Amino acid sequence: MSSIKEKFNQISPSEFFYSNRDLAGFSNPTRSLYTAVREFVENALDACDQKGILPDVHLTIKAVDPDKPDPKPYILTVKDNGPGIDAEHIPLAFGTVLYGSKFGLKQARGMFGLGATMAILYGQITTNKPVIVKSSSDAKIQNQFEILLDIQKNKPVILKHTTKDISKKGLSVSICLEGDYSKAGNKIRDYVYETSLITPYASITFDDPKGNKFSHPRFVKDIPPPPTIIRPHPHGIDVERIRRMIVESQFEIPTIDDAMIEKVRKDLGLSKKNLSFTSIMDKAKKKWKNLPRQVRVVIALMSFLKMDFEKLNKIRIEDIDMPNKKLFYWDFGDSQSKSIDMDPESQYYKQLTNTVQGEPLTTFLTKRFQRVGPTTAVKFAEFAKLKPEKRMGTLTNQELVNLSDSLQKFDDFMAPDSSCLAPLGAEPLEKGIKKFFNPDFVAVVQRPASAYSGFPFIIEMGIAYGGDIKTGGPHVYRYANRIPLLYDEGSDVVIKVVNDTDWGRYKVKGEPPFIIVSHICSTRIPYKTAGKENVADRQEIERELRLALQFLSRKLSSFMSKRGQAEAAKKRANLYAKYIPMIAEFCTELAGKKKEPNYKKMLETEIETETKKAVKEEKEIGNK
Amino acid sequence: MATSKTKKDSKAKARSKKADDKQKNILEMLKSHGAKIYDDLDNGQFPKFSIPSRSVSNIVYDKKLRQYILGNNAALRSSRNSAQLRSFTQLMWLAFFANRLTNEKKSSTLRDVYYSSQAFAVEFEDQSESDNIIVDLEAVTSKPREDFHIFPEERSSIFGDLNIEYTIPGYEGKTMNLANHPDGYSIGPSLTTAELVDTSAEIVIAIEKGGLFTRFVEEQVDKKFKSIIINTGGQAPRSTRTLLKRLHDEMKLPIICLTDGDVYGEHIAMVIKSGSANAAHLRELTVPDAKWVGVWATDIEKYKLPTIPMTESDIKRCYDLQKDPRYQDGIWKKELDVFLRLKRKAELEAFSKYGLTNITDKYLPQKLELAKSL
Ligand SMILES: Nc1ncnc2c1ncn2[C@@H]1O[C@H](COP(=O)(O)OP(=O)(O)OP(=O)(O)O)[C@@H](O)[C@H]1O
Ligand SMILES: [Mg+2]
Repeated sequence: MSSIKEKFNQISPSEFFYSNRDLAGFSNPTRSLYTAVREFVENALDACDQKGILPDVHLTIKAVDPDKPDPKPYILTVKDNGPGIDAEHIPLAFGTVLYGSKFGLKQARGMFGLGATMAILYGQITTNKPVIVKSSSDAKIQNQFEILLDIQKNKPVILKHTTKDISKKGLSVSICLEGDYSKAGNKIRDYVYETSLITPYASITFDDPKGNKFSHPRFVKDIPPPPTIIRPHPHGIDVERIRRMIVESQFEIPTIDDAMIEKVRKDLGLSKKNLSFTSIMDKAKKKWKNLPRQVRVVIALMSFLKMDFEKLNKIRIEDIDMPNKKLFYWDFGDSQSKSIDMDPESQYYKQLTNTVQGEPLTTFLTKRFQRVGPTTAVKFAEFAKLKPEKRMGTLTNQELVNLSDSLQKFDDFMAPDSSCLAPLGAEPLEKGIKKFFNPDFVAVVQRPASAYSGFPFIIEMGIAYGGDIKTGGPHVYRYANRIPLLYDEGSDVVIKVVNDTDWGRYKVKGEPPFIIVSHICSTRIPYKTAGKENVADRQEIERELRLALQFLSRKLSSFMSKRGQAEAAKKRANLYAKYIPMIAEFCTELAGKKKEPNYKKMLETEIETETKKAVKEEKEIGNK
Repeated sequence: MATSKTKKDSKAKARSKKADDKQKNILEMLKSHGAKIYDDLDNGQFPKFSIPSRSVSNIVYDKKLRQYILGNNAALRSSRNSAQLRSFTQLMWLAFFANRLTNEKKSSTLRDVYYSSQAFAVEFEDQSESDNIIVDLEAVTSKPREDFHIFPEERSSIFGDLNIEYTIPGYEGKTMNLANHPDGYSIGPSLTTAELVDTSAEIVIAIEKGGLFTRFVEEQVDKKFKSIIINTGGQAPRSTRTLLKRLHDEMKLPIICLTDGDVYGEHIAMVIKSGSANAAHLRELTVPDAKWVGVWATDIEKYKLPTIPMTESDIKRCYDLQKDPRYQDGIWKKELDVFLRLKRKAELEAFSKYGLTNITDKYLPQKLELAKSL
C-alpha cells in the first residue's frame, strides 16, 4: 500500500478520503454503515487474536432519532474484551490515517492502517461528532477519549480525556455516522452471521436499531494457534520497502554528548577514573566483546581522534567520509572545523564502515529476509551482478532498482515461510458448517501452504450438501483472513473457480441444496480494492482453489452416488410396487385367463430387499 | 344367374374367411406373448422378452429382399430393470389394447392410442412416446400396426375401377367401386382392411401430388390407360404402401411412380419400392417391382422443363443418398448424378408450360411405354 501512502503525502487527508472512499467502501450511507461495522468488528477480533484472548464482541447500532426516515445518523458501538491500547497510542491509532500495528508480516484482518480512521473520518464528515474510545490495557484504569480528526494535518484533536477505575481489559469505540439501516440491515446481519462461522471461537452479539438482538455464542473453545511475525520473503518486496529496510539497518552515528560519554565510561568500568587515551583503548580492547554497538562506535571514533574523554567533550562529529577516509569534526575550543585521516588498516575502521555504509549485501539478505542462507546470498549476488560485500548504504538508485528486480526474478530462494499464517483448521471449520447448516454431507480440506509473489497463503475449503441448506446452490461463502466477503462477488476469483466447475460431472444436478465455504489466508490478500471485498485472480491462488474444490467435489460426488444408490433402491421399490401389478392385470386379459398370476409374494420380497439396500446406503453416508 | 350368385357368395365367404383367419392369427400371437408374461409372473419371476434392436448399427440393407431390414441384434427387456419397467408396462398395455381393438374390430389412430392410455393409468409423456411403443410392438411381432387396427392420421387417396368389399364391422360384405366418386377415396382403415375383389385396370400409377391426381381423374387417365391412380400426398403413408403392395401381389398389377423431378421425388419412389430405414423391422410394406418413371433429371433437359435451382439441403440430400446402397446402380444412380450436375429441379406442374394436358397427352404415354422396358 505504499502507493496510497505516497498519495497521502501529496494531498490533504480529506481529499484523500474523498478520492479513496469508494475504494475503502464508503461510497454511500448503506455501504458506509456496513463498512464501518466491519472495520470495528475486525479490529476487535484482530486485537483478541493477537493476544490469544477468546473474543467477546458486542456490536450495537442505534438510531439517533428513530422516527426520521433513512438515511439518518446512527450511533455505532463495538466493544471487545481484547488487550486495549495504551493511552498514549489511542489518539494516533484512531486519529491518523495509515497508523497501524499490523504492517508486520503475519496474517491479520487489518492490513492498511486505514480502516478505523476511515470510518471515524466518514462519521465526522457526515455528523460532525467525535469518536469516543474507551480502553483499558491493564484491567485497572480505563482511558476515555473524545477525539476529532484534524483532517488538514492528519492529526488527532483530543476534546476530552478522562480516566476511571475498571476491572476488565478491552476497548470500545463509538462513532456517530450517517447510515441507511433499512437497506444495510440484511448485509450487516449476514456479515455477523458469516463472521461467527469462520470465527467459531468468538462470541458475537448484535443489537440492531429495531430492538432485535442477534446472538452468536462461541462453539469452539480453542483459539487456532496464533501466527508468528516473520521477515519478508525476497519475492514479496519492492524498492520502497528495501529503502526502508536499509534505513532501519543503518546505525546512526551517536551524538556524543555528556550522557553518551557517561555511558561509555560506565560500560568500560571507568565511571570514577580518568585514564589516558592509550589506557582507555587498552581497556576497550579487553572489554570489546561485551560492549554495545553505540559504545563501540564512540571508541572507534576516539581511536582516530586520539582523544580522551575530556577532549572528546569539547568537539562535535560533523561528517564521516568513508570513501576518502576522512573524519570531520567541530572543535568548540578553536571554534573551527577540523579533519583527520583514518587508517583503513585499523580494526576500528571496519566498525565505522558497517555503521555508516550499512551491512554487506550478503549479511543484509541473510539477516533481513526469511530463509536466505549465506550460500544462496552469494549466488544471488552473482545473479544480480553485485559484489557480495557491497555495502547496502552505498547502493545508487539504479543499483537499488536493479537489486529489487533481481530479488523478484531469482528463482533459487526457498518457498515462503508459512508460520505467519493462521488458518482456522479443518476441524473447527467442519464443526462450524455442521452447526450452521446441519447438512447431510460435509467435507473440508486445508491445502498445504503455497505462495504467490513471495506471499505465503493457505486455502481452506468446505463443501456441504442437504440438511438446512436452501436449494439453488452452490451458495458460496467467501472468506479471506477470517473476513466474510459479501460484496462484488462477480469479480472474485473464488466465484470464477466455482463457476468453471461442471457440477454434472460430480453428480450434482438441478437446483442442489449445497454450499461452498472458501477461506484464503495470507499475509497479503490480493484484494482488488482497499474495501476488501473481492480477491483478484492470481494464478497460484486460482490453482490452489481449483485443487481444493476438485478434492471436495470428488468427495461430494461419491456421497451423491451413494445417496443416488439409496434413492435408486427406494425408487426401484416404488416402481415395482406401481408397475408389476399393472403388468399382471394386462397380461391376464391378454393371455385369456380369469385369475391374476401369483406374483404378490415375489413382489413383496423384492420391495423388501430394495428397501434394505436403501437403508444400508443411507447409513453409510451418515444420513439422518 | 343363380349359379353365378352362389359362386359370388362362396367367393365372398372365402374372402371373409381369409380376413377372419388373419384376425385369428393376430389374436393368437398376442395371446401367446401374453401367456409367456403371465407364466413368468405366476412362477414368481420378473417377466422379460426380447426385441430386435432398432439402433442404426442393426439396420442393414438386404440385397435379396431389396429393402432395409433389422440385423440379428436383439435386446432383452426385463421388468426387473427399473429403467425399462415403465416402457415394459406401456408395451404390455399396448398389446392388451391392440388385443381389444382387434377382437372388437375397432380402428384407432396413433393419437387415439395416446389418449386411451390415460384411462388405464398408463402414462405417456407425449404422443411421440406412445408412437415409439407402437413401433416396439411392431418390432416384437413383426406386424405393421395396421394389423392391430392402429392407423395414422395422414390420408392419401385412390381412384379407378377397383371393386372392394369391406370387412369392418357394420359394412361387412358391402362392396364399392372406387371409380364412383371423382375426388377419389381416401385410403383409411376401412379401405386398407377391405378385400380387393376385382379390377379392369392393368397398371397402378402412384403420383406424388394431389393437384396432378385431380388432373389425371379429369383427363380420365384411368380409362385411357386402364389404370388405378393413387395420390401418395408426398411420402407415401404406410397404409398406402400396404395397399400398393396388395394391388401388386393380390391383383398382379404393376406399379409405377410419378414424382417431382428432384431428389426428394426420387426417394419417394424408392421408399415405395424398397421401404425406409425407419420401418426396417417390417417386411410387408415394399413393392420391389415398383418403377420410377419420372420426372427424371434427364427429363429436365430432354423436355426442356422450366426449372428452379436446388437448395443447399437438396444438394446435401443428394450426397447423402449417394452413400445409400440402393443408389449404387441403374437409373437411381444415374439420375442422382445428373441432379447433382444440373443443380436444378423441376416440378410435375412444369409440363403446364406446354399446355395443361401436355403431361397426360404426351409425357405419360411415353413414360408408360418406357416402363415396359425398365
Ligand atoms: N479494538 C482494538 N483493540 C486494540 N487495538 C486496536 C483496536 N482497534 C484498532 N486497534 C489498533 O489500531 C490500529 C489501527 O486500526 P485500523 O483499523 O485503522 O488499521 P488496521 O486494522 O491495522 O488496518 P486496516 O486498514 O486494514 O483495517 C490497529 O493496527 C491496531 O493496532
Ligand atoms: Mg482495521
